[in-house]
Order: sequence, then C-alpha cells, then structure tokens
Amino acid sequence: MAKQIKKPGKVEEPDLLPAMGLFTILIPMLLTMTSFSKLAIVEVNLPERSQMIMDNDVPPPPDEQALNLSLAIANNYLVIGARGGFQPNVYFKEMWTFRCKSDAQLVTYAMEDVKTTVESGHGPKCKDGSEMDKEKYLYEIETIELWAIQKESEEDPGKVIWAAYKNDGSAEEAHADSAYVDGANNFLSLPGEGVGGLQKPAALKAPTPGMAVATLQPNSARTLKPGDKTMVYPLSAYDLIAKDLIAIHTQFIDLDDVDNIIIVANDDTQFDKIIQLMDRAKEAGFSKINLAKLGG
Amino acid sequence: MARKARKYSEDVPFSLTSMMDMMTIILVFMIKNMDAEGQLLTQAENLILPISTSKVQPKEVSLTVVVDANYVIVDNEKVVPTADVLAQEDLLVTKVDEILKDRRAIEQEHALKMGLPADEAGHIIVQIDKNIPYDAMYKVMATCGFSGYTNIAFAVMEKNGGEE
Repeated sequence: MAKQIKKPGKVEEPDLLPAMGLFTILIPMLLTMTSFSKLAIVEVNLPERSQMIMDNDVPPPPDEQALNLSLAIANNYLVIGARGGFQPNVYFKEMWTFRCKSDAQLVTYAMEDVKTTVESGHGPKCKDGSEMDKEKYLYEIETIELWAIQKESEEDPGKVIWAAYKNDGSAEEAHADSAYVDGANNFLSLPGEGVGGLQKPAALKAPTPGMAVATLQPNSARTLKPGDKTMVYPLSAYDLIAKDLIAIHTQFIDLDDVDNIIIVANDDTQFDKIIQLMDRAKEAGFSKINLAKLGG
Repeated sequence: MARKARKYSEDVPFSLTSMMDMMTIILVFMIKNMDAEGQLLTQAENLILPISTSKVQPKEVSLTVVVDANYVIVDNEKVVPTADVLAQEDLLVTKVDEILKDRRAIEQEHALKMGLPADEAGHIIVQIDKNIPYDAMYKVMATCGFSGYTNIAFAVMEKNGGEE
C-alpha cells in the first residue's frame, strides 16, 4: 500500500505582540539612559596668585634642584621654560574654523585675517556669501588649530610644516587625529610649498599600508593595515609641544617636582587652548597642573 | 478603455516581523549607548564645552558655576554679566564670591550635622564656553578659591563622545 504523503500544514507566524510590548517598554527606558555625548572633568590646582603670601611672611628660598617647569602660550608661539631658561619657541599660525548658521558649511580662516576683516567693519564671510555677526563671531568658532611654523629668524614669516596624520574623519570631512612618528621619534613632516608654506609639499606622502609607524603614545608602534586611513595635514604646535613635554618628563623623572607644570597664558587666550595644553601635559605625565597669567 | 482597479483583500494581516526587525536594531543601538552609571554632570545651555581626552568622571554631585558668552551663572542663577567680569580690574568677582561663601557656609553646617569634617576644601565644577577668554576664566577660578572651593574641576566633552 502506498504511503500517503502528508500535506504540509499552514505555517503559523509566532505571536509577536508580547515581544512588541516588551520592546515598547524597553526602548523608552533605554532612551532616557542613553548619553550621546559624554561629559568628563579636568582637575586643576588653584591659580598661583590666589595662594597669596602675606606681607610679613618670608617667602621660602628657591629650590635649586627643582625643575620649575612652565609652559607659556603667547599670541604666536608656545615656549617651555625650566630652571630660569627657555627652550626654542614653537611658532604657530592660528586658524579658526566656523560653522556658518546660514548654510551649515565649515569655513576656515587665519586668525589675523578674521581680525583684519572685523576691523574693516565686516564679519567673517560664509561660503554662501553671507556674513557672520561681527559682534558675536568669537563665540561661533568651532575649532581652533595651531599650525606649526618653521622660521629661520624672528622676522621670517615662516612656512607651515605639514605632517602625516591618522585620519579620524570620513572621506568628505577628514579629521587629523594623531601625528605619526618614525623609528627615531621624528614626525613624518616637511615644510609646505608656496607663500607661507600653505600648499601641501609634493614630496610628503601619506603613509600607506605596510609602513611601520608610531604615534606619541607609548607602545604605539605598528604596521599600517589596508583599512587604516591616513592623511597629510599641517603639523599641530600642540603635537610639537607634547613631544617635548614627554621628553622632559622622562629625562627628569627622579626630581621631586617632575609631575608639576604651570601653564601660563595671556588674558585673551581662549579656554579651549588651555584645555588642549592641559591634555598634552597630562598625557606627558604632569599630573599637577597650575595656571598662571603672563605678566601676572 | 477604462483601467481596471486592482482588488485588494479586505483582511490583510498586519505583519509585525519587519517592525520587530526595526525594534531589534534600535534596542541593540540603545544598549550599546546606555550609561548605566547615570550622569552626575549635565551640560549647561548656551555654551560649547571644549573637547578633551580626559575620561575622569565626577565622583559626586558638586556645585556648578557656568561661564557662557553672556553671564556667570551659579547654581542656575544668573549672577553677573561676563562682559562685566572681563572689564573689571580686580581678581575677585564680588557677586559670585558672596553667593559661593553662602553656599560654602551651608555645606559646612550640613557636614557638621552629619559628623563629617567641615574644614575640608569644597568641590566645585566650572563649565566654561570654549571660546571664553582666559581672563574671565582666571577671575572666576580665583573667586572660587577665595570662597573656599579649592578643589576645582573644569567640565569638558569627551573626545569622540567617550567611545574607545
């Protein structure tokens, strides 16, 4: 007798309604607990001037063995001082990037160009031709970059130094993250071409897969993989200073005040620059940061 | 020739499968971004905090001073215009100092009641717009120190939204 073939029954969909109910409760709950931008804190020691010495107090004698490290930021250079002496100035060109409210596009100008425009009675121009508010443009700066400058003399306007960077952004909006260094801890860099070195040097190529590179971070040496994004971008003065700070901290590790640093700035220095310098100092190992004013 | 209207069945069952797929994707995304510890610090309005590599989180809720383009704000109360702080010669911002001293006295009184040491330095978090000049920041910070808040921390935005 031939075996009767069973007819496949109608496939029933599982009842998804209870699961949907669960999801509807879970999603709003998680939404309230989600943080899309995370806040942190940077601890700081009090300003030097607030720790006042009374008139009748005898100031303590200066410690000859102390490092007394300071990092000063002036209008166009950064300088490290220790034991009464100073390292060579790290000159920079300050670049301001604004995001225009009118077209949401980014525009980058040199700080001195913006100031000249504002002095002539106009606001910085957007890509669509509109002008920013010349009273409030200072609070619309999205990023401040300090492009390192190579100078032959004090009078020399200098040339922008370009370097190889890890690209942390997208193809449309590249973002320079960490500067690459070679085996001798030197930046992969060259002075730019054209007026002021504003053009990328043709001889400097972005690192390619297979190349051995490192960053300023310890134990960061590695070989670039095919997916790693790299770029050539103006070398940041912050990176040059970070490299010097790491070298100083390593060299004077035995001193009592090796973890102390005083950041000194002008009255008009933006808070963002202070935080960037504090970040570089902390990363180099300086855990006790004081703040002071230039000439204060 | 008139076009023939397509006939639809009247009782089309509502398919939840695609909805479930969508919900699952949202749920996974939310779990990834969830901050189980909660936020002890919330960003004030009208200011952009600087981006930093710091990952230090505040350990307790502290008094917050905000300095934006327009005002110095202590505990959500506008105290003095930022322009006035920039214009003054003196390091001490008197109006801010008065409020901070009052708050410090309350904190010390509360500590005594709880049996905690009252002479410990006060903790304060300062939220400053990233484009505020150093002069304003320095004066506010010094004022905090004069008022007994010597453990000062600046609020910053974690780089890459805190992602590793």
